[in-house]
Amino acid sequence: MAELGRAALVITLGLSAYALVAGAAAAALGRRRLALSARNALIASFFSTLVAAAVLVAGFLRDDFSLAYVAGHSSRALPFAYKLSAFWGGQEGSLLLWLLVLTGYSALAVWFARKRARDLVVWVTPVLGGIAVGFSWLLVGVSSPFDTIPAPADGNGLNPSLQNPYMVAHPVLLYLGYVGLAVPFAFAMGALLSGRMDERWIVATRRWTIVAWTALGVGQLLGAHWAYQEVGWGGYYAWDPVENAALMPWLAATAYLHSVMIQEKRGMLRVWNVTLVSLAFCLSLFGTFLTRSGVVSSIHSFTQSAIGPWFLAFIVVAVVFSVTMIWLRLPQLRTTARLESLVSREATFLYNNLLLVALCLTILWGTAWPIVSEAVRGEAVVVGRPYYDFFLRIFGLPLLLLMGIGPLVAWRRASLRGLARVFAWPAAVAAATGVALIAFGAGSSIPGLIAYTFSAFVLATITLEFSRGTAARRVLTGESVPTAFSRLVGRNRRRYGGYVVHASVVLLAIGVAGSSAYDSVVEGKLARGESLAVGGYTLTYRNLTEKDAANATEIRAVLDVRRGGDSLGTIKAGKNAYSVEQQVSNEVGIRSDKLTGEDLFVIAEQVNDDGTVFFRIFVKPLVNLIWLAGLVFVLGSVITLWPDAREERRLATRYATVGERRERTATT
Amino acid sequence: MLGAALAVAVVVVVALPFLREPTPDSDALHELDAAERERLEAEEARDRALAALKELEADHRAGRISDEDYRAVVGVLRRDAAEALRELDRVRAMPRGGTRTESAKSA
Amino acid sequence: MARSSSPARLVVALSVAAVLAVFLLYTSLAGGGTPSVSPSELAAKTGEVSLAGRVVGTPTGDAHGAGLKFVLEDIKGANKQRVTVVYKGSVPDLFRVGRDVVVTGTQRADGTFVTKPGSMITKCPSKYQAAKT
Repeated sequence: MAELGRAALVITLGLSAYALVAGAAAAALGRRRLALSARNALIASFFSTLVAAAVLVAGFLRDDFSLAYVAGHSSRALPFAYKLSAFWGGQEGSLLLWLLVLTGYSALAVWFARKRARDLVVWVTPVLGGIAVGFSWLLVGVSSPFDTIPAPADGNGLNPSLQNPYMVAHPVLLYLGYVGLAVPFAFAMGALLSGRMDERWIVATRRWTIVAWTALGVGQLLGAHWAYQEVGWGGYYAWDPVENAALMPWLAATAYLHSVMIQEKRGMLRVWNVTLVSLAFCLSLFGTFLTRSGVVSSIHSFTQSAIGPWFLAFIVVAVVFSVTMIWLRLPQLRTTARLESLVSREATFLYNNLLLVALCLTILWGTAWPIVSEAVRGEAVVVGRPYYDFFLRIFGLPLLLLMGIGPLVAWRRASLRGLARVFAWPAAVAAATGVALIAFGAGSSIPGLIAYTFSAFVLATITLEFSRGTAARRVLTGESVPTAFSRLVGRNRRRYGGYVVHASVVLLAIGVAGSSAYDSVVEGKLARGESLAVGGYTLTYRNLTEKDAANATEIRAVLDVRRGGDSLGTIKAGKNAYSVEQQVSNEVGIRSDKLTGEDLFVIAEQVNDDGTVFFRIFVKPLVNLIWLAGLVFVLGSVITLWPDAREERRLATRYATVGERRERTATT
Repeated sequence: MLGAALAVAVVVVVALPFLREPTPDSDALHELDAAERERLEAEEARDRALAALKELEADHRAGRISDEDYRAVVGVLRRDAAEALRELDRVRAMPRGGTRTESAKSA
Repeated sequence: MARSSSPARLVVALSVAAVLAVFLLYTSLAGGGTPSVSPSELAAKTGEVSLAGRVVGTPTGDAHGAGLKFVLEDIKGANKQRVTVVYKGSVPDLFRVGRDVVVTGTQRADGTFVTKPGSMITKCPSKYQAAKT
C-alpha cells in the first residue's frame, strides 16, 4: 500500500509541475488546448492526492504499523475517531492534508470560474500549480508519510492532548482557512499576470475569501476552546507563536475583506488590495512554516526538521513573486479615484485597515523577533505577554469603536453635524453603560471598562441599523415587523450579515475583557473536608476517585460547590494517566453559569500521595460569550455568503459576453 | 498495479483536449481585445455609479443621512452616473473587427 | 498638470509614523524581550533570563511547597553544562526527565536558578522525529 501512496504523490507532483509549466506556456503563447490540458492536470492532481490520502487513512484504520507515520501516531487501543484524526497529528500527515485541501480548492476554483473568467483562469492555473508543486515536492522528496519500517507490535499512540473532539476539527478548519487564502491570491496574481485589471478577480473570489476567513476564525476559536478545556492553565490564548501564526493571516484577511469593498464601490485602493491578499497568503505560508518547522520554541513545536529551509525558500519565492508582479503592473493598477474626505466611509475603512495591519505587523514582529535576534545578534530572546497585551489594547480598542462608526458614515463625504446626529443615541447608551459599570465596580480595570463601553456603543449602532432599516421598509411596503425584517436582511445580505459578524466580534470583546480583566484566582493545598473561597463560591474537597477507561486511568478530585448558601452540586478535576503513551494530562473541572456566562474553573495541579490536592481555582466572568461569539460569527458569515439570485443575474449579464465568446478565426 | 493504473488515467485526462480535437480550426486562446476590455471596465464603472446612487437613496430614506448631507452628495453621484453611462455608450458604439456581436447570440 | 495630493497618503504616512513611535516608545520602556539562554550561557548573563534546557537526574521537592528542585542541561552543543533550578508554581503535565523545558528567572550567587512562579513551559514531544535522527 505504501508504494501506491508514494506513487500517487509522485503523480501529484508531476501533474502540478505540468499545470505550472504547461499552464504558463499556454497563457503566454495563447494556446487553448494546452490551457485546457493544464487545467485538467490541476483538477486531476486532486484525485491523485485523494488516493494518497485514502491510502494513509486505510493504514490508520487497519493498524498498519509498517507505515512509520501510523506507528508513530496511532495504537491498537486508540478510539476510531482519533485514528482518523491522527492523520493530521504529525508533520507528514498535516502536509498531506494541506495538499489535499489545496488541490481540492484549486480544482473547484478553476472549474467554477471557467465560464466567466476564462482569460483569468489560464493564469490562475499555473499559480495554483506552482503552490501545489511546493507542497507535493516536500511530501515526495523531504517528508513522506509513506516511509516504511519493520512493523512493531503496537504503535506509539496519539499524544493525549490531541485526543479530544476539538483536535479532530481544529486543524481541518485552520487548513480550510490557510489554504483557502491561496485562491484569492492566485486570482490576484492571475489578474496581474494577464494584465486584466478589471473587477472579475475580486468578484470571482469574494465567497472563497469569506469561507476561508470564517474557517480560519472558527478554527482559532476551537483552538482557544481546546486550550481552555484541555490544556487547562486557566486561559485560552497564550500568544504562542503557533497561535499567532493563525491570527496574523486572519487579521490581514479581515483588512482585505474591508478594503475590497472600497474597490467595489469606488474603484480605489487596487494596489493596496493586491498587496493585502499577497500578505495574507504569505502569512499563511509563514504560519504553516512556524507550526511545522520548529524554528521558534513553543509548546507546539516539532523538533527542528528538514522542511524548515524548504519552507523558508517557498515563502521567499512567494514574496518575491508577488512584489515583482505588483511592481510591474503598478501603472495599470493606479486609478484616478481619490479619497475626498477624512470623514467618510472610505476613510473609516482605511483607518480600520491601518489598525488591523498595524496589529498584524506587531504580532509578526513579536513572533519573528526571537528568530531574527538569534540570527543577527546570536542571542535569542523571548517576547512575553505584556508586549502583546499592550498592542492588542492600543490597536484593538480603536478597532472596536470603528466597528460602530464605519457602517453609519456616508460614502465620499460626511458632515460632522450629520455624524453627531446619527451617533447621539448610541453615544448616550455607551456613556450610560460606562457609568453604570463603574457603579458595579468595573473601574478596577480601565482597558476593561473602555472595552465594555465601546462594545455598548457598537451594539447600540447595530440595533439602530436593524430597527431603522426595518422601519424604513415598513414605510414603503407596509409589511409586518417580522416580514420587513427578514426581507430587509434578505435583500441586503452582505450588509446585515456583516452587522451580525460585527456583533459577534463585540461579544468576543466583551467575553475577553470580562474573563481577563475581571477574573479572580485562588490556590492552596486541601485535605479532605477543607475549603477554598473565590468570587462568591466556596469549594470543599470531598474525596478522590480512580477509574480505568479505554486507554487511560482517570483520577478525579471531587469538590462540593456552594454559592451564597445554595449548593450548586459537585465539580471534578484531576488527571488522566495514559498507559501506552506514558503521559499524564490535566483534566480541569469547569462549571458554566447559564445566566451570567461566568465559569468556575478548577485545576487539580498536584495530587499528593497522602490524598491532599493542590488546587488552583479561577472565576472567569463572561467567558462563555467568547464561544457564543463563534456561533454568531458563523451565522453572520452564512448570511453574507448566501447566494443572491438578483446579484447573480446582474453579474451573469455583465460577464456573459466575456467568457462565452467563441474563438475568433485566426484571420482578423 | 494500482499506481500504474492511476498514472495511465491521469495521462489520459491531461491529454484529453488534444485527443478530442486533433486538428482544430483554431487553437488560439480567446483573449479580450482592447475594445472588449474597455467595455468591461465601462460596464463596471456604470454599475458602481448606479449602485452608489441607489445606496445613497436608501441611506437617506432610512434616515442614516441627513437632508443636507444628501443634497451635498447627490449631485456628484448623478454626474458620475451620467458620465459612466455616456462612456459606456461611446465604447459600445465603437466598431469591432470581424466578430459576432452579442446581439447575435440567443435573445 | 498638478495633481491634488490625496489626504489618503498623508493619513497613511502619519499612521505609520504613529505606529512606529508607539512601538519604539514601548520597547525602549519595557525592553525588547527576555534573553533566551542555555545553561552554558547562563554565567555570562545577569538579570532575568529565559533558561532553556533538558531535564536530567531526578526532580525532588514540591512545586507547591518549598519548591521543585531539578537539573537542566544544555540541549545542544558539545560542551554541556548543568544548572540546578528551584521552581515554584504550576508544573505542566508534560514535564518529566528528558523533556526540554523553558523557565524564566534569575541566577543566584550560589549558582542555583530561581524562577518566576508559574513560568515553566514544556515543548511537545515529537515522538517519531527524534528517533529518526
